[in-house]
Amino acid sequence: MTTLGWIFMTTSLVLVWGGTFWCFKKVLTSPRAKEEDSEP
Amino acid sequence: MSSESKNEEWGSKLGVILAVAGSAVGLGNFLRFPGQAAANGGGAFLIPYFCALFLLGIPIGWAEWTMGRYGGKKGLHGAPMIMGAIGKGRLARYLGVLGVLIPLGVSTYYVFIETWTFAYFLKYLSGGIGIVQGTSIAEQTAASGSFYAAITGSSGDGTLFTGDSLYTVISWVVVFAVNIFFVYRGLSKGIEKFVSFAMPIMAVCALIVLVRVLTLGTPDPAVPEQNVVNGLGYMWNPDFSALGNFKTWLAAASQIFFSLSVGFGVIINYSSYLKKKDDVALSALTANATNELFEVGFGGMITLTAAFVFLGLSGTTAAVATGSFGLGFNTLPVVFAQMGAFENIIGALWFFMLWLAAITSSLSMYQPAIAHLKEATNWSHRGATTVIAMIGTIGAVLTLWFTAGGAFWSTVDFWVGTYLIFVLAMVQIIYFAWVFGIDRGWRELHQGASIRVPNIFKFIMKWVAPAYLIIVFVGFTVQNFAASLQASWSSTGSRVAMLTIAGILAYLLVVTFFGEKRLRAAGVDIDDRTPAD
Repeated sequence: MTTLGWIFMTTSLVLVWGGTFWCFKKVLTSPRAKEEDSEP
Repeated sequence: MSSESKNEEWGSKLGVILAVAGSAVGLGNFLRFPGQAAANGGGAFLIPYFCALFLLGIPIGWAEWTMGRYGGKKGLHGAPMIMGAIGKGRLARYLGVLGVLIPLGVSTYYVFIETWTFAYFLKYLSGGIGIVQGTSIAEQTAASGSFYAAITGSSGDGTLFTGDSLYTVISWVVVFAVNIFFVYRGLSKGIEKFVSFAMPIMAVCALIVLVRVLTLGTPDPAVPEQNVVNGLGYMWNPDFSALGNFKTWLAAASQIFFSLSVGFGVIINYSSYLKKKDDVALSALTANATNELFEVGFGGMITLTAAFVFLGLSGTTAAVATGSFGLGFNTLPVVFAQMGAFENIIGALWFFMLWLAAITSSLSMYQPAIAHLKEATNWSHRGATTVIAMIGTIGAVLTLWFTAGGAFWSTVDFWVGTYLIFVLAMVQIIYFAWVFGIDRGWRELHQGASIRVPNIFKFIMKWVAPAYLIIVFVGFTVQNFAASLQASWSSTGSRVAMLTIAGILAYLLVVTFFGEKRLRAAGVDIDDRTPAD
């Protein structure tokens, strides 16, 4: 594998793994809005 | 609205995210993505791929989530009625029928393909698919091809109902029954509960297979160049010359588009069950991120690396040329056969993982049609599910019978699972940005949001995404529509497929017509004359 191959692979993996962890962390730490049902 | 539908909502924030992510993660993440990347510049493919993700996939996803939740505020859950409210009238409502036609139409053949994964899984559990270890690669490939042909019935119409191929029909009955069981149980007790278990299990299976592939080293010292690092290089080494080809950019956009399930009719339905101020901005982003993790993080690391290590450069290139299904169902079993004692374990794990990926998608395909029918008729969940299950059965029987050359299912896949997805996404983003209004849509997106979406996406949603979709739609229609239509009338299987699509469309239009009358009579504001909070 070439150096550029390593760079592309590592960058992509950091982006998708990091992005997913960040999103789930944010979801799990944000409270769900308390309100009435979705029906009008 | 029936009291039953009033009670139908997601049990948790995570539940809806996993359900949407489960709908998006499918066979394409593990099979189509690596093939597309390898054929279009390797690592360089990721440049147009991520551009498409940020310019097309994520913004359209936000629009769909927002429209769905808005429809839910008005008590609407079917795509036609939600689109009617967003687009303020009948035209949008009848265009919204596509949001039911697509998932229901795709379900007719998707469950069939899901059946293949299940049948392979069972075969690996019970001793393998008949590939003899130690024989030549050519002989193993022939054995694998013969099993694939028997399971898919590709040699002729009706062949699945004879001899050993009956195994496929029996597997289909099991797979379909599992689908209908969970759909019958409803949104939170059925679909949400299933994906809450299935998604983590799928991730664990993928992780185990990934670790096994990355620790393969150099299995055959006689061919030292066939090793894991070179296998990764096959997938990731960038070829920048591919970026000068328009085809690469189109392939990347298509991959993002189909992978994320935007324009499919599921997201708009699922998000309509959210509460008024439930977050949609972060939820949509999280569902997309999960899909990308499975696609790039697992699909991009496993499939071609394993193939390269055992089959070498020419074997892997030939496998990529056979397409997603050839790679997944024909080539990978030959790869597993080189793993010695691990063959059946890895084979079973791989196809179980693919089955989970497929069933979390197929489960989502019935719900839009059930919601639409319930809304239009005020029937109970069980009643509506029974009708949709019957339609699904008729479609499946046709798929199982007309298997020659895959003509039936590939015709439905092309028109419903490809062309109409582009059309619906284009309709949705145009109505969202231009009729509902981008400013209003932006405010709606941020209601209850846990994150602030950068303002640049307002511009992308209004101009970039619609322009891209219009260009592709017009380009395809002018260049290929007539020829594709003619090709779709060339065999019995494809003609039956076209008539089936027409039949489902006619049913949906009739249901929408009566639903419109019923809801109007019940005083529901289906044209959005009074905006919801």
